[in-house]
Amino acid sequence: MKTLRTITVAAVSALALIVSGCGTGASVQDANNINPTGDIKAREISWLLSRPADGGVITAMNKIAKEYAKKHPGFSLNLITTPDRPSYIQKLETLAAAKKLPELFDIDATPFAQKLAASGNMINIEKLLKDMNLYDEYRTSALDYQRFDDGSLYMVPFESQVEVFFYNKALFKQAGVEVPATLDDFPKVCKALRAKGITPIALDGQDMWPLERYMAYYPFRASGGDYIKQLKRGKAKLSDEVGRQAVEWMASLGEAGCFQEGFSSTGYSDAQALFTTGKAAIYNDGSWDASALATDSLNSEVRDDVDYFHLPVIENSATAQNEYVAPSGIGMAVNSQSFDPLVRDFLEFALKRYPEVYGSSGQISPTTNVEPTIPDNATPLYKRLFEDADNVGQTTAMPWDTQLDSTSNTRLQQELPLLVQGDVSVDEFISTMDKVIAENGPKAFAED
Amino acid sequence: MMLPSRSKKSVLIFLVPPLLFYGAGVLLPVVQSLVLSFFSWDGISDMKFVGFSNYVQMLSNDSVFWQAFGNSMIYLVICLTLQLGGALLVATLLLQITKGRDLIKTLYLLPAVISTVAIGFLFQRIYSVDPVGLLNRLLDVVGLSGLQQAWLSNPSTILAAVSFPEGWRFSGLYMLIIYAAFMAVPTELEEAAKLDGVNNWQMFSKIRFPYIRPVWITTTIMAVTYALRGFDIPYLLSNSRYGQLVTTYMYRTAFTNTNYGYASAMAVFIVIECLVAVGLIFVFMKRKVDE
Amino acid sequence: MSIARIFGGPRTASSAADEYHRRKRLSVHGAIRWVIIAILVIIQVYPLLWLFITSLRTEHDFASGDPFGIPKQFTLENYARAFEAGDLGVYIRNSLIVTFGASFFIVLMGMMAAYAINVLGFRGSKIVSGIFLLGIIVPVQIALVPLFIDYSQINLLDTYASMIIPLAGFAVPMSVFLFSSFYNYIPKETYEAASLDGAGPYRIFWQITLPLSLNTIVTVVLVNSIFIWNEFIFANTFVLSDGLKTIPLGLQNYIGAMGNTDWTATFAAVCVTITPLMLIFMVLNKAMIQGLEGGATKG
Repeated sequence: MKTLRTITVAAVSALALIVSGCGTGASVQDANNINPTGDIKAREISWLLSRPADGGVITAMNKIAKEYAKKHPGFSLNLITTPDRPSYIQKLETLAAAKKLPELFDIDATPFAQKLAASGNMINIEKLLKDMNLYDEYRTSALDYQRFDDGSLYMVPFESQVEVFFYNKALFKQAGVEVPATLDDFPKVCKALRAKGITPIALDGQDMWPLERYMAYYPFRASGGDYIKQLKRGKAKLSDEVGRQAVEWMASLGEAGCFQEGFSSTGYSDAQALFTTGKAAIYNDGSWDASALATDSLNSEVRDDVDYFHLPVIENSATAQNEYVAPSGIGMAVNSQSFDPLVRDFLEFALKRYPEVYGSSGQISPTTNVEPTIPDNATPLYKRLFEDADNVGQTTAMPWDTQLDSTSNTRLQQELPLLVQGDVSVDEFISTMDKVIAENGPKAFAED
Repeated sequence: MMLPSRSKKSVLIFLVPPLLFYGAGVLLPVVQSLVLSFFSWDGISDMKFVGFSNYVQMLSNDSVFWQAFGNSMIYLVICLTLQLGGALLVATLLLQITKGRDLIKTLYLLPAVISTVAIGFLFQRIYSVDPVGLLNRLLDVVGLSGLQQAWLSNPSTILAAVSFPEGWRFSGLYMLIIYAAFMAVPTELEEAAKLDGVNNWQMFSKIRFPYIRPVWITTTIMAVTYALRGFDIPYLLSNSRYGQLVTTYMYRTAFTNTNYGYASAMAVFIVIECLVAVGLIFVFMKRKVDE
Repeated sequence: MSIARIFGGPRTASSAADEYHRRKRLSVHGAIRWVIIAILVIIQVYPLLWLFITSLRTEHDFASGDPFGIPKQFTLENYARAFEAGDLGVYIRNSLIVTFGASFFIVLMGMMAAYAINVLGFRGSKIVSGIFLLGIIVPVQIALVPLFIDYSQINLLDTYASMIIPLAGFAVPMSVFLFSSFYNYIPKETYEAASLDGAGPYRIFWQITLPLSLNTIVTVVLVNSIFIWNEFIFANTFVLSDGLKTIPLGLQNYIGAMGNTDWTATFAAVCVTITPLMLIFMVLNKAMIQGLEGGATKG
């Protein structure tokens, strides 16, 4: 029968296409060949990225690319941005599966990125930066944030941020509470604020990573970065002491009514609005929002009352007060398959120019070689945030969403709101997550 | 066949282009993903043939999958009630008024043109509790403040909350189709029935509805298959597994968890699920006709 | 009201009273009907109204004010930002191209296949229509990775075609289905008469089937343009250059750091970008009614 034959032919060619498409990736590129030979031939190069279309990084890089094009006619930098992160990740993964990644692409230090690096798709950035004599200019924390567990570096940071707890002094006073000295003080503070009808903490639960940050805090104070590195491989469990403490702390935040009701469906801008309109007392946010929270564009009714504190410690804390989440944003990877003299030359030019151009836009550069420009309309907080960036300690708290394998991470993000809302118990949560991680974690990190 | 004078060539000329277009644009990738469902693949490493183990895992060892399946069924019921029930109701009402039909019809279709991103955001606000959203405020006004809650956070209400907008936004579309079918009912039939003194309900159940039954079947199939493939609004509104459908779970498995083989197995499941649904519709509708 | 009308005429008083009650009951019915219709229309229209009002709010009012109340002051600043951050004209142009392109193929392919299956007829037509039916029920998301690999092999990525082909392809089955059900309505005699006049299958297609299908064409175009206009996943996957971005991709320009979205500007952009669709819509809506009524009298 004719149709049947058509289908058979289609199926066979389908197999052939897939096999040739994803290929026998045997021809491993050399991630360490950082000095390709040949002439610089100007052409268009592309950067697939996930950053705000009119944000500091894109503005700076566009300017730099224009400067470079003047010296190298025919060169252009095509910036393809998808700011919405889930949509970006879908696009990136599709391109990776088809082996069509452009010259440059954004990626976090996830297990997926590590696989890409291990299969020789990405240039070794540590070697590249050292070869360009730029390595020592970078902040240690900015580079560390991009590293894989084995310490290798395959992504270039373009930002430097600190994450702090903004709070409303007036609301604290009204409820008669002080800044929490330890993490264990949080439930107490929340209850006092609640008693006065104030929403204690504004949380963007819809994007999921903000709540996952809270999950990372207790273990970070108890054991530094070790615990999550063990946990994600299935070598530590949530039922261990550190894990149980963290889960119980999360549940206690929920019981104390720390987050606004319905937090799990509140979006980013709505959560921020709760804080900036004086309805919520605490808001955990990063210096990327300095222009919204530390300039006079902030609502004048709360402007003078806003201050911030760092991640509180715990008793016998393994990490110090000045060690907390200090991310350097999503990193940029360099595709080793299309790495040629032009890409190298442009990168060298761009990365040298970048700190100055970026720093002048009122942002913290990932390097230490420029004085940041404080905008004229900044409140005193702005400068303090910048100074803190210079004083972050040795160990950075790693967000768990870049650490866990993606299946476990998705599940954790789904279970956490239920735990905090009291819809699953501490024990249920622990046994569910331990089972999921045991099934997926060891598999994902089998290579190391 | 209707035309006595047709040649083999003419059949081919009309049939081959659409078949080729459809075969290359749809069948090929679908067959490819069917093939993928027997592999384990993360998009980077080499594909590994795993036989039926993706299916075994899905059917026997994945409680999240079965939860998603249950959710999809409830989602289907809600969407159908709003879309088909609502469409039938409004189309019937429209037949009975004389003024402003066109205007109402156009207005009724409006939600369908708004982008899903905006709809997602709007409903997030409508369901919100802090700040108080529209729904909770309405409940307060009618004295049901005891029912106020965070509709998108409470596990027992999430599914209904994500289903409603999808059902609501396309009810206008189905209304138009059904209304158009009603318009095609020959006026002689209706007038004859009127002379016989039938009431409104009899006019509907004995004259109009039987006449539009073929269109009704088509519309039902459309609504059912669209609902079983429903994705956008539930994906945008909720990350919770209480609001997760098979489709959104499949998408997350493929693109968040880069488990393409497993996601393909779920896609095959959805296809089979739809086939069964369409089969059931035909059987059910046919039995009704036979009665 | 004149007494003559109430008491006059050949009717008796009692039948006039009956008539009076019947009318009253009717008007009560009518009132209920209108109330129901009014409520339904409000439910359907309100979101668009809300969208429009919100696009005129100041950012501060949006963040702190009552999101469902009437704002104290209106501003056009959101529209200014919307145009500044995104090339709305280009997005609208691209969406139009993709929508028209895809609609063209959906209609043409659907009509041809349905004509071959239902009008011409051939052995195995049931199987072919079954194969098409299968396409109605395939979830599109799963075809993304294979499609992407296929397109990258034949250099189709980042073109209008890479959006139009899958969008049209996945809509063709429904189109075949709709045209098929419609063609079953066209009486056999119509064709037999034409055949007797010596018309072949091509002439019959152009001169009889096509004109008769006008209403179905409009329905198919209408239904599909709604989906295509707002389609995000295919566009996001297959398009890389700025010049090819469609509206849903363009709306991403208002997303800031860490997903902090400028909602008022987004809504302003949404209001601008749905205008062409709504215009098409209203024109087609009218054409559809005409087509339908024409079809009804002819049929």
